[in-house]
Amino acid sequence: MCVGLSAKVVAINKDMALVDASGARREVSAELLDDLEPGDYVMVHAGVAIAKITADEAGEEA
Amino acid sequence: MNRAVEILRNYAGRKLRIMEVCGTHTHEIFRLGIRSLLSENIELVSGPGCPVCVTPPGFIDSAVTLATEHNAIIATFGDLIRVPGSTQSLASVRKHNALINAVYSPLDALDIARNNPDKEVVFLAVGFETTTPSACIAVKKAKEENLKNFSILTANKTMPQAYKALQCSADAFLYPGHVHAIIGTQLCEELTGCGVSGVVAGFTAEALVKAISMIVELSADGKPFFANAYTSIVKREGNIAAQKLVADMMEPCDCVWRGLGEIKGSGMQLKAEFAQFDAVKKFSLQPNDGKVNPACRCGEVLRGICKPCDCPLFGKVCDPLNPVGACMVSGEGACSAFYQYAR
Repeated sequence: MCVGLSAKVVAINKDMALVDASGARREVSAELLDDLEPGDYVMVHAGVAIAKITADEAGEEA
Repeated sequence: MNRAVEILRNYAGRKLRIMEVCGTHTHEIFRLGIRSLLSENIELVSGPGCPVCVTPPGFIDSAVTLATEHNAIIATFGDLIRVPGSTQSLASVRKHNALINAVYSPLDALDIARNNPDKEVVFLAVGFETTTPSACIAVKKAKEENLKNFSILTANKTMPQAYKALQCSADAFLYPGHVHAIIGTQLCEELTGCGVSGVVAGFTAEALVKAISMIVELSADGKPFFANAYTSIVKREGNIAAQKLVADMMEPCDCVWRGLGEIKGSGMQLKAEFAQFDAVKKFSLQPNDGKVNPACRCGEVLRGICKPCDCPLFGKVCDPLNPVGACMVSGEGACSAFYQYAR
């Protein structure tokens, strides 16, 4: 249940973010994180970005 | 990593019982084969940290009532669908045309409500601190949009009281990383004052091995300890926006945990100003604890008192296709993980 999915922010639209997780895209809530920008990496849980992470932690090449 | 593995393999001190509180940890530890790395003096026991497993049958009964008597569309995390209630599960009433939808997020349940304005849509809000903010965000959006056909049935739970209730079940806890990403780690520091030890762990093989090896090392001098082995995500202060959102919208309530009974102040419910989104109030439900199969030992499994294979039902009448207890239903339940990986 508490599993998280790391994803890259593609676009921000008000309090929502379009994210890309290994090619799968969906909108998630960006309400819990300040100053989120396209290109940031986030940990997503149940459709909500709960923490910023680094590209390295997301398992991506920086 | 190699040094951490050596610590786990070669440990020869007093027997250590480590409880993985989080169901995702339980599952990943089995899946990644981490138990095979442990010296026989290190025992891992599975705790109550799968929200599906600790949801009492009475909650399922309420959801079944909403689906069958109020003709509501039920939107739920998929794991809950096959959990047995007192007499029926959501899966069994779905066969008789009840509308039960599995969703990934409460925000998906909102979409169902937007797309079905003539139906009531109820999201089953289970989960710990990690998941509770997502239910709050859904209710907040429903209120902003004046969405009148959306509500949530809450069984949200919080960990602090459970840690205290489980204090004697283990020498140390493997604290759930994403719960503490939200609530921070001050609680864990305070718990050392009550004699409770633990390390916050991430979810990869490397993170889990590192955290367990830290527990082994920190246990050496016999004093209560706390450490954070998931610093990339877990900050001491936690996610303050999430804490504020939940504090603004919800309040603590007494809550029944399957296997642990009622723990005072361990549940979360919507505040009165959000009553129109609280399914219990909206539909005048009469919550009850429900009935469990008396032979099922899920309750003892959840407290680390017995292993899944000690239950007389395990693998005989209770398996993942025909689960009797909740720990067998959820992929993160201890019985399901045992059945898949350790029989």
